[in-house]
Amino acid sequence: MTAQDPTLVMREMSYAEAIRDAMGLALERDRRVILMGEDIGVYGGAFQVTGDLIDRFGPDRVIDTPISELGGAGVAVGAALTGLRPIFEFQFSDFAALAMEQIVNQAAKLRYMLGGEASVPLVMRMPSGSGTGAAAQHSQSLEAWFGHVPGLKVVQPATPADAKGLLLAALEDPDPVIVFEHKILYKMKGQVPEGYYTTPIGKAEIRREGTDLTIVASAIMVHRALEAAAKLAEEGISAEVIDLRTVRPIDRETIIASVCKTGRLLCVYEGVRTLGVGAEISAMIAESEAFDYLDAPILRLGGAEAPIPYNPDLERAAVPQVPDIETAARRLARREA
Amino acid sequence: MPVEVIMPKVDMDMATGKLSVWHVSEGEVVAKGAPLFDIETDKAAMEVESPATGRLHNILASPGQTVDVGKPVAWIYAEGEAVGAPPSGAAAPAAATPVPAVAVAEEPAQPEPATAVEVAPVARAGDGVRATPAARRLARTTGIALGAVNGTGPRGRVQRDDVAAFVAPAAEARTTPAAPQEAPAPATLRGPAGDLAVTTRKGTGTPLVLIHGFAADSFGWMPLESELPRDLPLSRIDLPNHGRSPRGGVRDFSDLARAVRVAFDAAVDGPVHVLAHSLGGAVALALADVRPREIASLTLIAPAGLGPEIDGAVLDGIARASRAESLAPWLKRLTATPDGISWDFARAAMLARNDPAMRDAQLAMADTLFPDGVQSFDLRAALARLTVPTAIIWGRRDHIIPWQHSLSARGEMALHLLHEIGHIPHVECPATVAGILARNMRQASRQ
Repeated sequence: MTAQDPTLVMREMSYAEAIRDAMGLALERDRRVILMGEDIGVYGGAFQVTGDLIDRFGPDRVIDTPISELGGAGVAVGAALTGLRPIFEFQFSDFAALAMEQIVNQAAKLRYMLGGEASVPLVMRMPSGSGTGAAAQHSQSLEAWFGHVPGLKVVQPATPADAKGLLLAALEDPDPVIVFEHKILYKMKGQVPEGYYTTPIGKAEIRREGTDLTIVASAIMVHRALEAAAKLAEEGISAEVIDLRTVRPIDRETIIASVCKTGRLLCVYEGVRTLGVGAEISAMIAESEAFDYLDAPILRLGGAEAPIPYNPDLERAAVPQVPDIETAARRLARREA
Repeated sequence: MPVEVIMPKVDMDMATGKLSVWHVSEGEVVAKGAPLFDIETDKAAMEVESPATGRLHNILASPGQTVDVGKPVAWIYAEGEAVGAPPSGAAAPAAATPVPAVAVAEEPAQPEPATAVEVAPVARAGDGVRATPAARRLARTTGIALGAVNGTGPRGRVQRDDVAAFVAPAAEARTTPAAPQEAPAPATLRGPAGDLAVTTRKGTGTPLVLIHGFAADSFGWMPLESELPRDLPLSRIDLPNHGRSPRGGVRDFSDLARAVRVAFDAAVDGPVHVLAHSLGGAVALALADVRPREIASLTLIAPAGLGPEIDGAVLDGIARASRAESLAPWLKRLTATPDGISWDFARAAMLARNDPAMRDAQLAMADTLFPDGVQSFDLRAALARLTVPTAIIWGRRDHIIPWQHSLSARGEMALHLLHEIGHIPHVECPATVAGILARNMRQASRQ
């Protein structure tokens, strides 16, 4: 069952509610599922995503961990390795830096180093992104870091329905999956199917069809790209907007087919532009059969080469905004690139 | 002695050729006339045939390499003949082992042979044209030379639509389209120019309008264009039944003149310079007669319409030829000496004439305009009435139209009679023609 199934009963809920709904369903269905993280129990989570789940499932399954990301992640890896299905919440994705050993050297490697005899079915939830005035240590978009590690899967839902579907797909996956949840999206509402379903990992979604250029965007940038595309349509520029959804493994097929159709590619992502997700997509296209269809240089819009500033104006300027996307798309579509 | 295989000259202004693929590997047997390797020129990709029967050895040029015209690329040995170092006295055999068709075609195979083989700089596309991959792909599938396409992108970059606009009229006219993968976009360059195909190059200053001769097309100006200032704006008109213009509908010379006038009126704004050749020259004279204020200067190369004589057999032969074998002997009459046209040049020319509908239309047109090998139209009166600064260029060894026709020019007109040049001076000596053209245009702007 997927989110597109027309027989599904839809209900409006926020992105955060959709994630909570997914976790509640998982806790109901599978006794192996546990939630772990700092302040996710009584407090309900730094962004109130776990909410009242502790009341429904008790402190044995919704576990507050000490303020030690490395320690918490280590317990989660061990729990996954020995048969549980933990969902570990980092308060901010930035704090994953403290747990790199467990994520990169243990979770990602153990299946390989144990000859496939064991696996680490661990889901790591990471609130990420800028726009909340939380400054340099609480606003980063680090998906490219983890996308660089074989053994990890990395997803970035942009809608409430995908936030639920991708989280449940991550839980079904036998290996570690990191879910980047954009903090600005938590309050965004959307139609979400009721009941259990999954959104496939590794599949991008075309959010708007177009013919003049392809915009590949992720997380909050999907919505900015769609807003830009609506404005561009008034000028006669037809932009196709692809919601990347999964950073690793990237959906080559959907992106290549789209670029073959439009001949122009704009990558929009919030992470730092250099060596980011857009660089990978750009190179992937240059190496693919889509190369012969390119009618303009590939453009990337990414985060500034600087820590995210605290000043709200500078914070906005540090990541792509709707007018930036419009300008870049116009350059491409009007052949000014 | 083994037979030398050289990079052939298939184009008048070709100095180097890019070898794209070998059809025969090192040590394989090849028959004379069989496809040996492919080259890419500005105009098209074409096969080069083996000059002899034997075994191919000493391959010096690998796919992707650019080689000077006339330089050896391999040798063909008779059966049983001892294979040694390349007979040119060059250094060690460059490729004693078969050259792998490596994926990175622009990279020269290493080690570099210390021979006459020239390797193109790696960082640069072989043809030096700034074009997008999509434009290159469409040009490949439609057989268009990118150098002839007007790039409308940043810094003159040729984009897909530029190529599509260039091929669209031809694709409409062909009876059997070459079936490019995608339908060409509407011909934006052609739009307002009436029925005829007009390709333009943007620039600054007074534009130059080019009108080609019988059985030629706008590609024929390429050698001359490379001698012109890069920012000179150009408009190239394809005559009816030629190039990318529609087929049919020319009952007499005034039909032809009218069609060009309509295209000229639609494509041109304000005074322009006009350069025209042969039949195009006659058309330009007719045009100048009715649009004197629109023409700043007129440069005519071996114009028709100034006397009855013309070699009708050549026109007929070129229009009729359906194979390079029948085209080559006639093409050799265009230049001062037959050596000016190589076999491979003829084959490349035939590639541009592979549309039977176009050939039939040109044949009918030749019969209409030059019945019994006589020029049926006379523009000497128009020449006498000309008020614009005019220069006439003629090769003294023109075998098609006698240079003496130039003597009907009025005394104040500049007459340039070129020694050891035939009917196509703009191809035989483009720099000279460009110099004369520039002087005439300068003089016009002073008046």
